[in-house]
Amino acid sequence: MIGRIRTQTSEASQFLVDWMEHRTGIVTMLEHFLYEPVPKRGAWLYTLGSAVLFTITLQFLTGILLLFYYVPTTDHAWNSVSYIMNDAYFGQLIRGIHYWSANFLMAFIGLHMGQVFFSGGYKAPRELNWVVGVILLLLVIGLAFTGYLLRWDQDGFWASVVGMKIGSYSPFVGGYVVHFLLGGDAVGPATLSRFFAIHVWLLPAAIAPLIGAHLYLLRRHGVFGSEFEYTDRLAKLHERQRMEEYARYETVEEDEGEPYVGRRDRADREGYEEE
Amino acid sequence: MAELQKDPITRSDFLGFGVMGAIVGAILTIPPVAFVLSPIIKTDVLGESDVGTGWVEVGPVSKVPAEEPTHFVVSFPIQQVYGTKAVENPNVQDPNEKFTLRNAIWLSWKAPIKEQGRQGSNGDIIGKPERPKILDQKSSGFTESERKEIMSKLNVLSNSCAHLGCPVRWNEEKQLYLCPCHGGLYDINGGWVGGPPPRGMYRYTDAEVREDGKLYVKHKFNIEPGLNKQHPYVV
Repeated sequence: MIGRIRTQTSEASQFLVDWMEHRTGIVTMLEHFLYEPVPKRGAWLYTLGSAVLFTITLQFLTGILLLFYYVPTTDHAWNSVSYIMNDAYFGQLIRGIHYWSANFLMAFIGLHMGQVFFSGGYKAPRELNWVVGVILLLLVIGLAFTGYLLRWDQDGFWASVVGMKIGSYSPFVGGYVVHFLLGGDAVGPATLSRFFAIHVWLLPAAIAPLIGAHLYLLRRHGVFGSEFEYTDRLAKLHERQRMEEYARYETVEEDEGEPYVGRRDRADREGYEEE
Repeated sequence: MAELQKDPITRSDFLGFGVMGAIVGAILTIPPVAFVLSPIIKTDVLGESDVGTGWVEVGPVSKVPAEEPTHFVVSFPIQQVYGTKAVENPNVQDPNEKFTLRNAIWLSWKAPIKEQGRQGSNGDIIGKPERPKILDQKSSGFTESERKEIMSKLNVLSNSCAHLGCPVRWNEEKQLYLCPCHGGLYDINGGWVGGPPPRGMYRYTDAEVREDGKLYVKHKFNIEPGLNKQHPYVV
């Protein structure tokens, strides 16, 4: 009895998976997006990008939840945050996650950038992914800056004033930057509204497709130092060392042909791809 | 690529695309850009301000002691588009007074400058602040000449630091204004003494003492840039 149900369920789910795969190709896509070979050595360092993705997802989720109670007006902003913190069920947890994952997000981004930089992961053909990553970093900094004012307490208020005044020192457009952020020439309701619009709509809307592009480019070229790339380079290094060994034993002979410069280099020069 | 194009673009086609493109592009981009940048157009191009231009009461000048500065909090009415308080609260008397900008003003008596300092290296060498004698006798009902004398000896300073706008406060121990953010220092006249500010404190340029003995100011400052020629901004 149980055995039959088990077989039937497994057949039904197999049918469902096959059906979806045939219509959308989602199974291969998931496999492609979820599994990535990474080298054994320093494997934990490759989780930093995932950590960034995880914290930024937390930002999106808790941010949406906070919007259920937050009121972006000068009269009610502080009170609504106070309500979230003191009266709403699990308000401290939700806002705490939003606050702390924002802090950890910046730290993870720094570590992730460091890992990519020091391992040389930004090199060809992954230059564009580095560029996209830097744009993402700037957008996240913008989010951190605009989110601070939304609390509308002394801390966030003066930090934002200082931030805007730093903007006023930018060459040529200093005054315009400040008036754009203030929504006029005084800190008032327009300022809070603008920061809210930038924090909740403009920057998240800009960041989401760029995260998609970042992941797409990552999957297109693979993580730098993936198993194959690593062994490939190692093999090439051994090959070169072997050739150098030969060269040492070979006495002065007539130079026949061009010197050995490595398989990949030569292929590049002759203008064709091996793969 | 060229052979894919069955009909090559003629000159008139190209011009037509260009003209239509410019018109459609303008229709699509100008409204949203102007919508978002309207504060810049309003403030920088048309020169309007959100802060009310009228006089605002500060407080009685006789309360300013001889040696120490004292501060008053003033509320300038500001008008920024939405959120009329009158709608939420019918008891507000002035329907135009939607929101206020709270600023602190530091008042002190000018200390004579004995030796002019140089911005960026050392502050002024100053003497003792001089409180007008007339204030010992009366605190209101000043004559024209007395008011002139009071105004010539009074420092009316904004508490917004000239560096990045943090609120400065008087440090009694050091006898200097101290900015809590990055340690900017100013003397009792608001002159630069130390720290990162590129100039001295901002002064209110429109200030007057009236017959009732109180000081009134307008939201206007001397905003000449200091050592480095950047756009100053007073909160």
